Amino acid sequence: MSIFFKSPIDIEVLLDGEENRKHVDLFKGGSSTKTMKESLPLYEDGESIAGLVTLRVRDGRSIDHLGVKVSVIGSIDMVKTSGGNTTSTNGNSKLNSNSSLYNYDDPKKKPVDQFLCLSYDLCPAGELNHSESFPFTFKNLSKRYESYRGKNVDVTYYVKVTVMRKSTDISKAKKFWVHLFKDMTPPVREPNVQGSVTDAAGATSQTTNTPPSVLTKPVRLDIGIENCLHIEFEYSKAQYSLNDVIVGRIYFLLTRLKVRHMELSLLTRETSGLKPSNFLLDSTSIRYEIMDGSPVKGETIPIRLFLSGYDLTPNMSCNYFNIKNYLNLVIIDEDGRRYFKQSEISLYRTK
Amino acid sequence: MSYADSLPQAKSAVKQNTVLMQRALQQHSLMDALKYASQLLQQLRNPLLPPQRQYYELYVMVFDTLGELTLYLVQGHKRGRHHLADLYELVQYAGNVLPRLYLMITVGSALLQCNDETVPQAEILKDMIEMCKGVQNPTRGLFLRYFLSQMTKGLLESLMDLPFSITFLTTNFVEMNKLWVRLQYQGPLKERDLRTKERKELQILVGSQLLRLSQVIESEEADQEENFTVYCEKILPGILEQMVQSRDVICQEYLFDIVCQVFPDNYHLETVEQLLQATAQMNPQVSLHKIIATLVQRLIDYVEREAAPGKQGGRSLFDIFWQYLEKLGDERPDIALVEVLDLVSNVITLNNCCDPENTDNLNKLYSLLFTKCKDFAVNDEATEDTVQQQQLFVELMTFKEVKRANLIVVNCPKYTELLLSIHPRAQLQAIESLLNLFLDQSDDWVVETEDQFMKLLALCKPATALISKEGQETVPLVQQTVAKWCHALVRATTKSRQLRPITKQVQLLLSLKNALHEGTSQSVSCTYESLITLWWQLIKKCDFLRSRLPKNKSSYDTSIKQIFKYVSRCITELFNVVGPSITDRVFKLNLQTASIADQLSLPEISYDFFTQALTVFEDTLSDSRTQFQAIVYMTQILQRTRSLRTEGEDYYDNLIVRTTLHASKLLKKQDQCRAVYLCSHLWWATEIESLGETEDDAETEGQFYREGKRLLECLQRSLRSADSIMDNMQSCELMVEILNRCLYFLIYGEEAQTRVSVNYVNGLIELIKTNLNSLHLEQMAELKLDDTSSTKTPQRVLMGQDGSVLKVSKSNGAVSVVLPTAASTESVAELATIPADHFQRTCAYILQQAALDDRFKAITV
Repeated sequence: MSIFFKSPIDIEVLLDGEENRKHVDLFKGGSSTKTMKESLPLYEDGESIAGLVTLRVRDGRSIDHLGVKVSVIGSIDMVKTSGGNTTSTNGNSKLNSNSSLYNYDDPKKKPVDQFLCLSYDLCPAGELNHSESFPFTFKNLSKRYESYRGKNVDVTYYVKVTVMRKSTDISKAKKFWVHLFKDMTPPVREPNVQGSVTDAAGATSQTTNTPPSVLTKPVRLDIGIENCLHIEFEYSKAQYSLNDVIVGRIYFLLTRLKVRHMELSLLTRETSGLKPSNFLLDSTSIRYEIMDGSPVKGETIPIRLFLSGYDLTPNMSCNYFNIKNYLNLVIIDEDGRRYFKQSEISLYRTK
Repeated sequence: MSYADSLPQAKSAVKQNTVLMQRALQQHSLMDALKYASQLLQQLRNPLLPPQRQYYELYVMVFDTLGELTLYLVQGHKRGRHHLADLYELVQYAGNVLPRLYLMITVGSALLQCNDETVPQAEILKDMIEMCKGVQNPTRGLFLRYFLSQMTKGLLESLMDLPFSITFLTTNFVEMNKLWVRLQYQGPLKERDLRTKERKELQILVGSQLLRLSQVIESEEADQEENFTVYCEKILPGILEQMVQSRDVICQEYLFDIVCQVFPDNYHLETVEQLLQATAQMNPQVSLHKIIATLVQRLIDYVEREAAPGKQGGRSLFDIFWQYLEKLGDERPDIALVEVLDLVSNVITLNNCCDPENTDNLNKLYSLLFTKCKDFAVNDEATEDTVQQQQLFVELMTFKEVKRANLIVVNCPKYTELLLSIHPRAQLQAIESLLNLFLDQSDDWVVETEDQFMKLLALCKPATALISKEGQETVPLVQQTVAKWCHALVRATTKSRQLRPITKQVQLLLSLKNALHEGTSQSVSCTYESLITLWWQLIKKCDFLRSRLPKNKSSYDTSIKQIFKYVSRCITELFNVVGPSITDRVFKLNLQTASIADQLSLPEISYDFFTQALTVFEDTLSDSRTQFQAIVYMTQILQRTRSLRTEGEDYYDNLIVRTTLHASKLLKKQDQCRAVYLCSHLWWATEIESLGETEDDAETEGQFYREGKRLLECLQRSLRSADSIMDNMQSCELMVEILNRCLYFLIYGEEAQTRVSVNYVNGLIELIKTNLNSLHLEQMAELKLDDTSSTKTPQRVLMGQDGSVLKVSKSNGAVSVVLPTAASTESVAELATIPADHFQRTCAYILQQAALDDRFKAITV
């Protein structure tokens, strides 16, 4: 869309009860415009999306069209699909040209998968010579994924109204945000994505796949560096709701390190693209100091971390990408050396 | 966030944030206020500030600021502006653990202050203390926990029951203690001393927890007994366990001290065994004596205040401590003597307070020290340690009251043994002060039985065994003190009915003699004289009693005779032990005894002592000056005797003839002259007023021994000696002295009796005048040679009775004595005035006397 040619028709999409709906505040995509915020209405899975489309004709001119279509679209967008592979971008461009899809937030991200696309005609072809409104409804719309805005991957939802013309179609998209809430009944664990936990400190991980039935059981880890450090830590469980509190403790069995402090961080790992050349992006969501100074043998340090105050991303997984969360215990000694131990935790959203 | 480099910077950062926080609070912008509070708390994370002073100063500022915040939070909560339970969660989002915990405690305590029933108060307290574990840095952790205890002060008492409060405070204490102990391992090894200093400065933070515990216990209104049970079963074991486990000297010493100080003393009495048990398990470097001292002091306070019997569960405190000491002796032979000493002296104090009459206990303690002294084999090194040790010994071995001292010496045989085994210097000091105590308070001193007396005598042993070393001038002084002490001791026995009789006294003195005989020759020379004096006193006493109780006369007679024998024995022993150096005194002692015997009309005994004296004179008195003095002394004594002449045998005549003979055989002419004219008095007895004699008796009854012929012979012999002296001045002076004697006899006796006539006096005066003239010539000749001598310092020159020259300054009357041997060095001119002056004075006297006595008119001056 060029600013020199004003669109002859003005499309407005209003969602029902948008004013009263809960909104999610987001930074606009793109690093340069990080300070700009946008606020999107929030929907759940299975919630109907209804609204009103108003078409306004400029200056009383009449416009011929081949019909007006409303669609609800959910798509996965990516900057890089897989480590510089061009074949998929070709596919994307094809997709792009066919359905004129684009990412409204970050022009660099290109849609790779449109997992939701429902549309219907609001009015047949004809002439539009005055403003007209059309209500629309997508009843009990099922939404597969949560909305997500990451570094490499976005999951976006929007309602798109297209006025089809012989020349360029005129369209307007209205974004909305989706949260998926997990049932309080024990969630079904998705098949664990292979790839063992990395461990820079050389500690051995003893975590194994936790069967769904024992998800509430505490997670115990026993790590150490020979003749230097031996700690045992324990989290109350491996799965947390986003409103949850991580409670645990760290027990120092042996410590010859001069510890300056110890912190707990929550790492969100975005894995995108297809195997084997997938693309990893880590971001630290929380950094939380839990200990100051050097403990002695036998000391137990309590952990309590409220999650609700942070803006966290629940675990997600699909063919194109997945989001995982890790708790990272970092010990920093007096010389600034860092010793850390990651353990995966699963976050989910509840009401 | 970077830290301030220095305290002023940190302080200004705190101040700035405080102001911002206050402003935010005024605007009821709580989130901002919390943000600023969190920022100012960042300053407390500063690892660069040394903990003492600087960190504390900062802490105080922060404490005040957070206090304001608390106030606001409480008010806001009550007005419904916010709910503190929410805030409690909110502040936990703080990323750094230290600010987070400070804020948690601030909000938590505010929440508790609101006393909201719906709030799980106990849970919050538990949570706060549990989360504090996140700070493991010793300094920061200590201050944080101190903050916790300050903020919960009062809340615990008002909201929680006793068991909870105690658990809470104990936990906090335990953690603080751990941090405090751990502080020593911080930083490089070379800064160890600095760490120790810091720890000492921070110790009060740990101690404050124990104080809080004691406050909680005492504030609780519940049954005192119950509180005590809680203390015994929960608090104390916990504290002691920490103390023992820390294995840290500073910690153990400090905590034990604090426990003793802050908890009520009646508790200590009941838990004394637990406390002692704990000390036995402490680090060997802990100065047990110091901490035990505190405990003992507390116990004493209690016993004295409550007038309690000092018993715990049927056992006396002493028994408990004794057991403890024995155990220490077995398990810890490494404890230095000085520390053992201090420990024991504390136990002694305790015993003196609880059960002062129990000397068995004390004896046990002395015996313990005695063995220790042997083990350690006190050496002579004057290290600081031994100096202190000596000091302690002296303190330990001395008393304030004579009765106490008497009791101890009598009932604790080990005391004397100990006294013998300690370091000589300490021994000296201790004995001196002990003896002085007996002397100072001799009025209160009573010796009841012979047994007591014998035990007290044992004290002589260490005192008299002392040997004077170089630079130890005090030893002779101590010997003198022993001599005085013997007097006081005997006097103390006379206060006892049992020991007062003469026969007992004789026994006691014999025992005393034996005890003193053990001493060194030095001490014998000092002490025997006082022993002899005591015998004399006893003789006098017998005499007195004899006159009071005539029916027992014969028994007293025998005792007196016997005692004289003992005296004789003593004098002999004195001479035998000390040797020739004491001859002079032996001579005098003999004479004194002779005089006493004479006064008691015992001529044989008296004669015997006189002969003893003369034997000494003949055999061993070789120094010519001493000989002269001895003769003078002899004549004095003899002149006053009365009994010697009355017997059939004329002891007196024998003695005076012998004396005069010795006098005329003296080495120097001057001495001969003077001695002989003094001997002239031996033939001219005079009245002794104290015996009630008068001059009249002599005239009417001829009672006095007077023989003018011999008298004149003496004077003539004396004059011959004077005339034959080559020194003109000496000769003149002696003649003037003889003239004075003549005048004396002239006044007191008739010419017929004394054979000293006016003519004789006139002749003597003539002779003196002639001699003075020639002396004057000699003097003039010398003055011409030396003109300046006439302008010499204005002095009056005199001659003493023994021939020494006295110089009296005319301006201030100061006298300086020049011994006769040195007289030769004086110029003749200076000395020539002596006889001239003397003669003039004598002449003036004659003229004066002429006015009273007609006979003097016949003397031509």
